[in-house]
Formats: sequence, C-alpha cells, structure tokens
Amino acid sequence: MKGSASISITRRLVITVLILELLSAVALIAAITVHEWSVQLEIFDASLVATAESLLGAVQDTEDEGDNVMLDMRGVRVAKDAVFRVEDERGKILGSAGEPPSLETAASAAPLFRNTAVSGRDYRFLVLNGTRIVDPGKANGGVRHSITIVYGTPLRHVWHEVREAVRFFAIATAFLLGITAVVMAWLVRKGLSPVHELAREAERISPGDWQFHAPVSAKETAELRPLAAALEAALARLRRSFEQQKRFTSDAAHELKTDVAIVKSSLQLLSMRKRTLDEYSQGLALSLEDITRLESTVEKMLTLARLEQPVESCNSSTASKSCSLRDVIADAVHQSEPFAQLKSIEVAVEINANTDVRLPIDSRDALLLCSNILLNALQHSPDGATVRIAVTTDEGIARLTVRDQGEGISDDDRDHVFEPFYRGDPSRSRKSGGTGLGLSICKAICERAGGSIEIASHVGGGALVTATLPAKTALSDPTLSASLKAE
Amino acid sequence: MRVLLVEDEQRLAENIVAALRETGLAVDHAADGEAGSLLAEQGVYDAIVLDLMLPGKSGQRVLQDLRRRKLQTPVLILTAQESKESIVNLLNAGADDYLSKPFDLGELLARIKALIRRAKGASTPVLAVSDLELNTVQQTVRRRGQFLDLSPTEYRILEYLIHRPRAVVSQQELLEHLYDFDWEHHSNVIEAHISNLRRKLNVAGTEPLIETLRHRGYRLREEAGSQ
Repeated sequence: MKGSASISITRRLVITVLILELLSAVALIAAITVHEWSVQLEIFDASLVATAESLLGAVQDTEDEGDNVMLDMRGVRVAKDAVFRVEDERGKILGSAGEPPSLETAASAAPLFRNTAVSGRDYRFLVLNGTRIVDPGKANGGVRHSITIVYGTPLRHVWHEVREAVRFFAIATAFLLGITAVVMAWLVRKGLSPVHELAREAERISPGDWQFHAPVSAKETAELRPLAAALEAALARLRRSFEQQKRFTSDAAHELKTDVAIVKSSLQLLSMRKRTLDEYSQGLALSLEDITRLESTVEKMLTLARLEQPVESCNSSTASKSCSLRDVIADAVHQSEPFAQLKSIEVAVEINANTDVRLPIDSRDALLLCSNILLNALQHSPDGATVRIAVTTDEGIARLTVRDQGEGISDDDRDHVFEPFYRGDPSRSRKSGGTGLGLSICKAICERAGGSIEIASHVGGGALVTATLPAKTALSDPTLSASLKAE
Repeated sequence: MRVLLVEDEQRLAENIVAALRETGLAVDHAADGEAGSLLAEQGVYDAIVLDLMLPGKSGQRVLQDLRRRKLQTPVLILTAQESKESIVNLLNAGADDYLSKPFDLGELLARIKALIRRAKGASTPVLAVSDLELNTVQQTVRRRGQFLDLSPTEYRILEYLIHRPRAVVSQQELLEHLYDFDWEHHSNVIEAHISNLRRKLNVAGTEPLIETLRHRGYRLREEAGSQ
C-alpha cells in the first residue's frame, strides 16, 4: 500500500476481474450484435416480403381490351423512404416510387434480396416475381401476367435497432463494471484484513518484547496459516538465540569481571604498603597466575567465537583439513597425563590399532575436542577411577565415547551442559578449574564438522559423552601413518 | 572489628581477607552461601561483605535470611551484575552498600569501615571521647594532642570501646569482634592488652579512661579527664 512501485494485491485482483469482465462483456456485445443483426434483418426481410406481396396484390385488372393490369395503390402501405418499381412481363412499369436500381431478375420464383446504395443510402431490395391472372373465370383460364416487383427500404432502421441494443448492453456493462469494482475492492480488502492484523501484531515486536501470537483471524485463514506459523516459529527461534546471546554476554562479562577483579585486587593488595622483597616476588607470582587465568578465559571465549563463525567463510581450507583420530586421542591422553596422575585415574583407550579414522577437522580443533571431553571426564571422576575412551566406526561415521565413573548427569543438567558457562553442580563452581566453556567448545567443534555431541548417564554409572563425527575409515597404511607422525 | 566475607572465588577472597587483616580488621571467610549464612547469623560481625553469585545459596537469599532474623549487621554486596534493577532490589532487600566487580581494593576497605562506623552511630572517621581522639583512617590515637603509640590489637580494642562509649563491653564481646577464627585467642590475652592500653592512655592526675567492672567487662568513661 506504500509507494507507487509496490504491488497491491487488491488492485491487481480488482483489475484482473474487471478486465475479465470487460472481455466477456465485449464478447457478449459482439455476439449480441451479430444475433441482433440477423434477427432484425429477418424482421426487415419479412416486412419487405409483406409489403412486396401487398404491392403484388395491388396489381389489378384495368378492365380494358388488352386485359392489361394496373397498380391500385389504395390500401397499400408503403414505408416512407421506400423505393419500388412494379413492372409486367413486357417491361411496362405499373407503378414506382423513387429510382430503384435495375436489378437482374431471378429466374426462380423465390424472393431475391439485394443490398444496394441509392443516392448514397444503404437500401435493401426485394425482387419478387409474381403472377396475376386477369379474368381467371374465363374459359381460357384468363390472361397471365408475370409481375416483377422491386421493393426496397433503407437499411438504416436495422442499423438503428442493432445500435440501440448494443448501446443498452454497453451501458449495462459499464454500470456492472463499476459496481463490480467497488464491491470487489471492498470484498478483497475485507478478505485481506487478516493480513493487516498479522502485520499489526508483527509490528509490535521489538528487541525488548519478543512476544508474538499470530491473531486468530490469521490462523483461521488457510492461506495465512503457514505464514503465521512460520512467523511464530521464526520469532521463537530468534528469541531463543537472542536470549542465549544475551545470557552468554552477561555470563562472559561476569566471568571476565571476576577474573579482572582478582588481578586488580592482587596488585592493589601488594601495593597497600611497603613489603619485603620476598612478599613482592610472591605477590607478583600470584598476580601472574591470576593473569594467566584471565588470559585462558579470554582465549576460550575467542576460540568459541571462532568456532561459532559460519563454516562458509573458511570452506576453502576444509578440504585440506584432516587428522587421524587415533593420533589426536593419543595426544590428548598425553596432555592430560599429569592431571590424571594427580587423581590416580587410569585412562583406558579402546581403539582398533589397525583402523585409522580420519576426521575432516583441523587437528588443533580435534585435539581441543578430545582433550576437553577427557578433562571433563577426569574432573568428574573420583580418585583412583578409570576413564574409558573408545572409538567405533559405522558407514562414514565415527563415534568417540568417553565414559567416566563419576556421579553421572541429571536430566536437568543434560539439557544445559553444553551451554556456555553452565556449571552442573553449583557447589563446584569455579574451583573445579573450568570456565564452563569446555563442553560448549566441544559442541561447536562437532557441529562445525557436521557432527553432534551428547551426554548421558551410563546404565553402569558415570557419565558417557558421545561425539558423532563424519569420518573416513581406512586400513592404515604403515608408511602413511609413519609419515603423518613425522609431521 | 570483625568482618565476614562470603565469596566463592578463592583468589579474590584470599586478597580481600589479606587486605582487611592488614587494615586491622578480623576477617572470617565463607566460600559458599550456606556456610556464609550460618556464620552471618551468629551475629558477631560488625560488617558482612557478600558476593551475589554463590554456590549453594545465593547472596540475595543469604541477605534475606539475615534480615528476616532481625540482624542489623551492615552488608556490602559485591556484584558483577550491572543491572540497575538488581541493585535496587538488593538495596530494598536490606543491603547497605554495593560495589561492582572489578572494584578498587582501597575503596572496598573505605566503604567497609564507613559501614561499620555508621552502624555504630558515628559518621566521621575521627572519633572523640573527652580529650581522647581516634582517627580510624590513619589509625592514630591522640590524647590532649599527644600521639600515643599503640599496638594494632590495643588500637582495635580502643576503637571498639570508643564506638560504644559508656556501655559495658564484656571480654566475650571483645573476643568475638576483635578476633576471627584463624586467631588463637584467650580471655587473658584481652586482659593483658587492656592493661597495656590503660597504661599507655594514662596521663598523670586523671582517672583511668577504661574502667574494669568485675565479672562484667570494661567501660570507656566519657567524663574522664574533666579536670
């Protein structure tokens, strides 16, 4: 409705209907014209015949010796502009009006119609051959006279009738078109009112208020139902992601502020008064530790941000990205060895030595994934427990499972554990060392590679993390794996 | 003066505790909401520093429970949440002050001291009883213009007593408010400190400022020194 360039459904519909109506009206008027013409012509012809025949009837015996005939015009009504000629077989003109053209006479007795112009006007003529018998009662049967009557009247009358009929229909059509336009516009606008209601409802959406319920009228309109449902669903998705973003920002701010507060308080405590050299060096060491922690939080946030970037932006290099899952697991286990030893946890890797699973992931990301899952398992394991890592492959899919012997996971936590900064057990809090980003990073890596990750409580106790990733399985070629290791 | 810090972030808590102790306050630390609530409700603290995001029990609930028990201990909230609403809610729920993280350690100390002072009915950092003047910022004591050299504990005892002029303060109360759980304390330690304090405050020709009431405690005499 806004701007001249926009397309109006109402206008389009009304114009379409009007054009269709106009076309059918034109066709109808054409048909009516043809029909009216033929009907009027028939009437015209009938009246020509009637008048001609009454002219024939007016041919009378002259009652003279030669048994001639004459035209007695008494009682014969001839049209005002009529032109006629009545002649006998000898060419003697019995009577005439105007100047009828000389028309070839038909051999047959059937009446013959001819259209000709007489002094610039269209006339229709009838040539009628008739017979008059003078004294039919006589013994010889009377004298037969062949009478030829040429009778014509202007066609103007027919034209007039046809024109009148066409004019009537044209006026009626114009009137109907006008009414149709008004009624159509009203009906269409009324029919489209659910669209406006939907738009009004949608207009109310703002970053502060994501509530959107499609109006009932829109939901009850078959054509609008998919749109209303799609809008509702899209907005719900947007709202969720918006809220997630908001929560992430607020959590990230909280995390960073806390880390900064630690660094700041460490340094300020150190500068509160003059201290001994030992106190200074100890304080500096602690401050450095605090800054390292801040750094690691920032680094993890940036990693997550990088992983959550759309994949398209670096699609060109994905083809070349590939790594051996077996090597990556070995690296991850090696990395976490000190922590595992600290808690005397045994890490058992169950992987077929002959099968090399290659993942289409950057080896750094794959290592990050494996070590994060492993660290999570170690953190949740009691001292002296065993963490089991296993890999199974199935038609281009690799399943990496890591099982700990911890307390498992509650259904509540299960839904949120991959959300950034979510910490299952609040009492563990930040002391457990995690920033609450580890599993979010895992999820981002898996999803980026087109896989998925989930966590569940194992029936035998403990939590089971399963990462499902697209993979290429190949019986390992010893030379290839050797060269890879050499890299 | 004894302060309770409820903060789950270990390193931050360590720093705050160290800073508070260096300014002569006794500090106890609780690392989660439940422990914090338990300690706070003993009613022995002169101020409470409360973090909001706590494991176990949120700072907000610790505060609500404290106020529900009619404990008037001043509470300073440490928060990393910026929203005005939550701050308004906190102040309405009975918080006395708040600081956003990352805060300035010096500011935190100043605010805690101000809270303690105000809760004891003093609005300026310089407290005076007759000819005795105690500056809580510089932690100096003067009598008749003369600076007195007090040990930190003696200063703290005097500071506590000067906040409660004419009131009888028991040894138990002094112990509760001057020492935290980390310190070794016995009532005869207090006696020794009081006796030293009394000697240092003593000026020839005046009655002793600190009275000892047998089995009841000590009292700071306001009219002392009226020549």
